[in-house]
Amino acid sequence: MAEKPTKTIVVTRFDPDVDEVPKTQEYTIPVEDDWKVLDALNYIKDEVDPSLSHRWSCRMAVCGSCGMTVNGEPKLTCKQSLADYGDRVEIAPLANFPVVRDLVVELEGFMDKFKKVKPWIVEAKEAAVVEGTNRQSHEELMDFKQFSMCINCMLCYSACPVVSNEPDFLGPAAIALGHRYNQDNRDHGDAERNEIFREDGGVFSCSYANECAEVCPKGVDPSGAIQQAKLNNVVDWAKGFVVPRGK
Amino acid sequence: MRTLMLKLEPIIWGLFGGGMFIGALVLPAWLLVVGVLAPTGIISATPLDFDHIYGLASHPIGRLVFLAAAALPLWAGAHQLRHIFLDFGGLSRDGLVGGVLYAIALVGSVLAVVAAVNL
Ligand code: FES
Repeated sequence: MAEKPTKTIVVTRFDPDVDEVPKTQEYTIPVEDDWKVLDALNYIKDEVDPSLSHRWSCRMAVCGSCGMTVNGEPKLTCKQSLADYGDRVEIAPLANFPVVRDLVVELEGFMDKFKKVKPWIVEAKEAAVVEGTNRQSHEELMDFKQFSMCINCMLCYSACPVVSNEPDFLGPAAIALGHRYNQDNRDHGDAERNEIFREDGGVFSCSYANECAEVCPKGVDPSGAIQQAKLNNVVDWAKGFVVPRGK
Repeated sequence: MRTLMLKLEPIIWGLFGGGMFIGALVLPAWLLVVGVLAPTGIISATPLDFDHIYGLASHPIGRLVFLAAAALPLWAGAHQLRHIFLDFGGLSRDGLVGGVLYAIALVGSVLAVVAAVNL
């Protein structure tokens, strides 16, 4: 039988108990044609070096946990074919996040940003009592549907130049999520969310580099959401002069 | 300064958006007409002579158009430069840089208002 082709996988390793700074480790392994990048990492973990730490779960681009930097670009490793790369493939943790260990990054700050934009239907119960059953047309659904396809994989945070310069920036996914609820006709939280959007690190920090939309593995357009949110904020702000906000 | 800029962000971004629209769509068309098509005789230059243009520009709507074309791109430029500066890691100096850039745009806009009124 012919020898299997091999590739050298260069993995960034970091053990907080031992290492001052991250280092790289090379593994030359036999690979299959149909492998995704994640398959190579799983092979290393199962067959070569069990000490390697990386996150994954669904293996079908749904859970959003396998985001890493592959040859310098943020990628969903369970979706990205290994065959797209040459003989040497460099895998590092996502940029712009603190590293917990090897390829695993800290999620806490990211999750806090999500909570900030109130990602739920505000006054859902109260409105249901007054307004009765919620009806939503196809067009109304289309106003926000694409923004609800986000799987929180954080690739957009890793790609965003503003996140790297301004760690407090709410960031693409959180703003797109907030905007998704603002666009939802069942929601009554626009005013609250827009106030958060106008704070330091809110929508206006975005410099429209559009990298978030480029790297999104689910075809969401977070930068589109941010620009729409900016416009909504300008309108909202201008309305504030005409109609005083009831508090 | 940053706090003030933050408060004014919606209006600054609105001016920036208007300026980008004019800079990207209106000015190129205008430059094409007066800079290329008319001088090369591809279109007749008669509608562009002084009396016609003056008549157009001194009409109240003409004055507004003149004001928008002169002032808004200044805000677009200032805002754009500020964000380029931020993308290069200038967050700690944002107040100063943004302040100076917007001040230039503001002075330019005031001059544009004066010019539009006195046309
Ligand atoms: S493993 Fe779930 S998205 Fe990649």
